[in-house]
Amino acid sequence: MTLSTIDLTLPYKTRVQDALSNKHLRVALERSTGRMAGQRAAAMAAIDEQTLRDQVRQMKEHVLRNLPDLLEQLERNVTANGGHVHWAKEGVDLQRILVDIARKANVQKVVKAKSMVTEEVHLNQALQNAGMTVVETDLGEYIIQLAGEPPSHIVAPVLHRRVEDISDIFQRELDMPPTLDPQVICSVARGILRKEFLSADMGVSGCNFAIAETGTCCIVTNEGNGRMSSTLPRVYVVVMGIEKLAPTIEDAFLQYQALCRSSTGQQCSVYLSMTSGPRQLGDTDGPEEFHLVLLDNGRVDMLAKGYGEALCCIRCGACLNVCPVYREIGGHAYGSTYSGPIGAVISPSIHLEVTDVNKLPYASTLCGACREACPVKIDLPRMLLELRRDVVEEHDAPLFDRAAMQGFSQMMQSRFRYETAGKLGSLGSNIFASMSGGNIKFMPGPLAAWTNSRDFPPLAKRSFRELWHERQRQRQSIGKEMKK
Amino acid sequence: MAARDEILTRIRTILSRPDLPFPPAEAPPLTAGERMTVTHAEGARQQLAKRFGEELTQLYGSFEILASAVEVRLALVNRLTDWAAEEEAARKGPKPETYGQDRMVLSWAPDKLPIAGLSEVLTDMQWKLVAPQQLTTPEALDGVRFIRFGVTGVEAAFAATGSMLVVSGAGQNRAASLLPFRHIALIPFSRLCPTIEAWLATQRATGNLADLLRGRAGWNLITGPSKSADIEMNLTLGVHGPKFVHAILFDDGKPETTETEEYRNWRIEKFEQSETEE
Repeated sequence: MTLSTIDLTLPYKTRVQDALSNKHLRVALERSTGRMAGQRAAAMAAIDEQTLRDQVRQMKEHVLRNLPDLLEQLERNVTANGGHVHWAKEGVDLQRILVDIARKANVQKVVKAKSMVTEEVHLNQALQNAGMTVVETDLGEYIIQLAGEPPSHIVAPVLHRRVEDISDIFQRELDMPPTLDPQVICSVARGILRKEFLSADMGVSGCNFAIAETGTCCIVTNEGNGRMSSTLPRVYVVVMGIEKLAPTIEDAFLQYQALCRSSTGQQCSVYLSMTSGPRQLGDTDGPEEFHLVLLDNGRVDMLAKGYGEALCCIRCGACLNVCPVYREIGGHAYGSTYSGPIGAVISPSIHLEVTDVNKLPYASTLCGACREACPVKIDLPRMLLELRRDVVEEHDAPLFDRAAMQGFSQMMQSRFRYETAGKLGSLGSNIFASMSGGNIKFMPGPLAAWTNSRDFPPLAKRSFRELWHERQRQRQSIGKEMKK
Repeated sequence: MAARDEILTRIRTILSRPDLPFPPAEAPPLTAGERMTVTHAEGARQQLAKRFGEELTQLYGSFEILASAVEVRLALVNRLTDWAAEEEAARKGPKPETYGQDRMVLSWAPDKLPIAGLSEVLTDMQWKLVAPQQLTTPEALDGVRFIRFGVTGVEAAFAATGSMLVVSGAGQNRAASLLPFRHIALIPFSRLCPTIEAWLATQRATGNLADLLRGRAGWNLITGPSKSADIEMNLTLGVHGPKFVHAILFDDGKPETTETEEYRNWRIEKFEQSETEE
């Protein structure tokens, strides 16, 4: 049974309208995004913010410039540590690799730490189709898995749900007695998930960053489910996008601190788990098999198309929390695994099936708040504009938009046409406006999208040029009078 | 391997394009000299210990600073007794079956703890220090799953953020700082550093930082008790890991070092190996 009413395959406009009319979603978004943005700002203000952002940026630029060499270095070191490295071009390749690893190790149950990259390739479905039980163990991910929903935020997957909704889900799915106390809800999940950890054969997590010089995969968590997944099962598999590298240990700790401060406003997360390979001779515990799977899935395309800057992203979610559009519509309206400004930029390149993906660059006011919040200083507004340009150049823009822009460019090319159009527009709009009491209340065709929600003011009765000429004439006549 | 070569070749081709808008052609790595220290701390050992405690307390952890190993043994016994009584008083409903594990403490091997004689003191007070040889089978895990207390040492502790670094290895299980309800970390002053960055710089200077990290399979930086804010940004503690983290900092009178003898031997051995290989 699923409680979900969320359908990411609906047209973009419907998704947005659904989100805007969902009162519970608005409450949930209001309660969470403001607090997260505030915590980030406070944590960054406490340190030398500009230097940290500049240095992480420099480190990521270095990584991308030297990406092939660093990937080879990482691969060498993971292998030397006793781990296995796999490469996946597309999502389906990754699914196949994971199913193969699991089958070979005779895996029945998989526990997962929260990971966006496995959401991106729909790994859970693939493992379940292969007959395995998959349990999400991050509290937020566990809740949405019970409800059959996709995550709506890079860091806080169940941000779209109020505590009341979460309590309902637990009551229905787990027979929890009614309560609105998050601590009680949490302890119910702890009890159930502890049993899952102790009986799981394979742990799967993403990778916040991997250290090339040592072959160490790092995950940043607060709950401890990442540690459980990487410690208790026999097999531990890390899935990582090919861009998530840090050249040295010191670089990794720098990025770690930028990530913690930007995502949740912490100095350090509760756990930073660093795994260099399978358990060693004499170790009491730890996985006996360690696999690292490197995934492309459109990341190289992003670089090729000139959007490589987005590969600097460390997935902190800061741009979501400050985005006036995200704060109104939430994550699901984007229809993609990745939402918010960064989601709008990377979704068109990453090989994801997103309905109306070309509309996403327009889900922005270009206010620039995301660029100010980004710990790696990614120029998201510029990239959103460039993506809009791409959409137009591919002739994917609506017919009306194209006709309007062509008409505008024709008009602007001649002074006569410009002035005539201005006069006609002024005359027409003022007649319209005077019929409906000062402002235009209705416009035909696609223009109705404007007047449906607000009035349109008429054009000025006289153009600036006309007013300027009149002013000059008056001045001259005053000057002449003075001379007399 | 086809996918690997295809991906790498394609990236190399793209990066060689002169018109590529990003990344910039000149992208130098960060150097040790320019890399910043994010959170600062300074002062003598006592001040660092206090700072560590304050940071940990802000994160809902607790701490005490003691003068000697003798005091630590006593403090640990008293704490365990108090906590057990506290939990007994707070318990609702009948006592759950714990298979005798309610008087056990999951621990690193006694010789890996920074305090000698802990096992004997605990035994005198009817506590049992359990340091399993292996924890990889369901049966072995069943033997520790109801234990409420875990005791470990640390590789290093950082005052500026109240963080501690724990490392896997022989006699140093990962479970003791993860599975129990309460984690007690024993931190001698000689392992206390002002910042993560300072510790990294020291290790890098000795030339073995990378080998140190790779030399053990699992490292964890722990900063406070397990928590979540997934439910409407409300703080909940003890989601999967320990709900209580208690640090016992004590003066061990040793010079400041974070390198154990074992590591030194291992490092020298490794160095000699590489010499002979060449």
